[in-house]
Amino acid sequence: MEVRYQVIVLGGGPAGLNAAKYAANAGYEVGLIDAGTRLGGQYWRHTGREEFDQSVHHNFDQGSLLMDAVLANPRITVHSETNIWSASIINDEVVLRTNNGAFITQRLILATGAYDRSLPFPGWDIPGVMTPGAAQSLLKGHGVLVGKRIVVAGTGPFLLPVATGLSSHGASVVGLLEASSKYSWAKNLLELLRNPAKALEGIGYLLALRGRKVEMRFRQAIVAAHASADGSLESVTIANLDSEWKIRSTYKLSCDVAAVGWGFTADTAIAYSLGLALDVDASGSISVVVDENQRARQPNAAIAIYAAGELTGIGGADLALVEGAIAGLAIAGSAQDLKTLKKRRKKLLRFAQALTKVYPVASGWKSWLSEDTTICRCEEISYSDINEAREEFDASDARTIKLLTRCGMGLCQGRICGRTIADLMNSTPQERISSASRPILSPITLGEVAQEGLL
Amino acid sequence: MSQSPDAIVIGAGIVGATTALALTNAGLKVLVLDRGSIASGTTSAGEGNILVSDKEPGAELDLALRSRDAWFELADDIGGGFELEAKGGVVVSSSGSESLRNLTSKQRDSGIDARDISSSELWELEPHLSRSINVGAYYPQDAQCQPMLATARVLQAVKQRGGDVVTGSEVLAIENRHGVVSSVVTSRGSYSAPVVINAAGTWAGAIARLAGAELPIAPRRGFILVSVPTPHRIFHKVYSSDYVANVASGDADLQSSAVVEGTQSGTILIGASRERVGFKEGIDYSVVRILAHQAIELFPFLANVQLMRVYRGFRPYAPDHLPVIGQDPIIKGLWHNAGHEGAGIGLAPGSAQLLADTILERHSFMNAAPFSPSRFSTVSSS
Repeated sequence: MEVRYQVIVLGGGPAGLNAAKYAANAGYEVGLIDAGTRLGGQYWRHTGREEFDQSVHHNFDQGSLLMDAVLANPRITVHSETNIWSASIINDEVVLRTNNGAFITQRLILATGAYDRSLPFPGWDIPGVMTPGAAQSLLKGHGVLVGKRIVVAGTGPFLLPVATGLSSHGASVVGLLEASSKYSWAKNLLELLRNPAKALEGIGYLLALRGRKVEMRFRQAIVAAHASADGSLESVTIANLDSEWKIRSTYKLSCDVAAVGWGFTADTAIAYSLGLALDVDASGSISVVVDENQRARQPNAAIAIYAAGELTGIGGADLALVEGAIAGLAIAGSAQDLKTLKKRRKKLLRFAQALTKVYPVASGWKSWLSEDTTICRCEEISYSDINEAREEFDASDARTIKLLTRCGMGLCQGRICGRTIADLMNSTPQERISSASRPILSPITLGEVAQEGLL
Repeated sequence: MSQSPDAIVIGAGIVGATTALALTNAGLKVLVLDRGSIASGTTSAGEGNILVSDKEPGAELDLALRSRDAWFELADDIGGGFELEAKGGVVVSSSGSESLRNLTSKQRDSGIDARDISSSELWELEPHLSRSINVGAYYPQDAQCQPMLATARVLQAVKQRGGDVVTGSEVLAIENRHGVVSSVVTSRGSYSAPVVINAAGTWAGAIARLAGAELPIAPRRGFILVSVPTPHRIFHKVYSSDYVANVASGDADLQSSAVVEGTQSGTILIGASRERVGFKEGIDYSVVRILAHQAIELFPFLANVQLMRVYRGFRPYAPDHLPVIGQDPIIKGLWHNAGHEGAGIGLAPGSAQLLADTILERHSFMNAAPFSPSRFSTVSSS
């Protein structure tokens, strides 16, 4: 099957939904491709049971209205449960091959979002250790509570809604640990106060948690996890950290789930396949470079590719919505004035940048690793395997480490450990960008690949 | 590090590494240079094939036979550690039995253990093979290694035995005095040696030009498909006899015949396409489709196995498909060991031995004349 659309939007989260809506309202036939069963992305992941969905979201009405508007729009066709396995440019057209046939367009908006950033530590591969995003998605998308005694840890504002959601649905949040300092807010206070709505949302979470006797502990992190005899998580070792995140002292806490996350990594694999210009910031985060209309840079003038949301820099749902709107209008060449939207984007961008400064990941996490700590879970490659390749063979870059040890060559194709290896090997920005290369974007059966007529 | 070793090897791939080891073992002090990291070029895209089955009788087959044994000797010499395994090859024919039986008969005359097998033997060796395939041959000598690890281990041995390896040093110039090579200028310093060996694989032509010589080596692109890890259901290297013809083909257009094998990590590797399209970046999904199709024809169960990864490599090929092993006809002291096309891993230790014997004027296991770099200049001047 081959389907052509005037505009294709990839991703059904806040950025993609708004992009589709605005492009359709400007008169274009839009195909919205999303991997999920329901629209909403990670942010508005939901079960379809209204009362429950309201209870797990901060502002579900906004999402609900937007999803309804997209579904009701006759110019938008939604293709759910559609996984793209390759993306390329052929004869001045973008060709996206999926489990539901090929999609072709000359105007593409990428809103592929981001996933949790994980850092390795001894025991992070024990069942029961997961990312906050995974814990939240199970709750929001399936109404499943991941455990009874949960420690939420890592860094970033996302820990708050996750802890609040788990706690208000019956889990006991026995620890809420933020590795950054309590005072790192103060340095960026001015910028943060420019977005009082977000500040209030944060305070709301803290108050709700305090009501359940959950206090956030700063400068603390899970530095080891321990399994019981049956192999499941039994307890974690928590460390008090110094300013570089090196361990000062430790204590143990028993729990059945540890939700640990260190901010987000943008999903740039499709962007890389299509040859878009990418940028790497000081933290090693990769993003798509866009102009003031959200247009990405790529060499083919016959094709317009735009990007919006977390893909262009981690900034949260409000910024994603605005970027999606701008991308949708701009790709449609709409005469509508974008000035107000751009002003709002500017304000939200400054807030996002200030937040990034509040939650930097310090390099001390490398000191938490022991020789037998797993680095690549898919291929079961340990820290000592990597050090051996480094020392015995003088392997000095991430690619050589990967080829010698198989680290990052397993099922996740380095999505989880790729950034870790890049950090351990001090990869250059260019090396980090090329490590985003994934010619097969998601596994697909050879039978489907072999189908006749496939481009 | 010595600025004036006995020999400089340009290229830290498998051919450069084994050449360095052969010379080191002969008592020379060897310096290996690479612009990238070890095994970061042609070698990194290799499957690790050590095949005798895919060669027609001739000089390359003689080299392959010796090289196959040299791999096992090398493993003994340096202590292994690179997943060397005599897993055996199974070649099947979909175009009747006559051509395959002719090939095996000729190969047997050249000393290969090539066994004609019945359909029941075939299905016993590979129980999941398509039942529509009933002609086959078994090659117990075909082997396999992990080429990156092999290169790393060999270079480690070179260093332990007194050699040096300098990575991240791009060769900028190769100077000569009155037609005799004098020094190699790199981005990280200059070195001089009476023997300079060009083992730059697909980029060997560019290195030759830096020295004022010429070497007609060009890239021949290939893709390899990698499945998700699955239970072990393919036990040998299995391929269609069309592959033998493709390997020898001089055609620039796409040739493709599936070579399928299981790996220790549980993934299934599917090669091998061949195209002369220069150093073309990106993935051609129409080629990926053909390879998937051909693999399923051999093993129908693959239709339901998921593809996880595709990677691309550029084989260094010479117009007559033979490697180039010997002294440059114009620049004395410049030696080439390159152009092994898709067989570089398999042919590396044999080629290294042949070149080392030639440089050191020792008797070797075969005559190196068929691989001489001067064969191209003879052609162009006639």
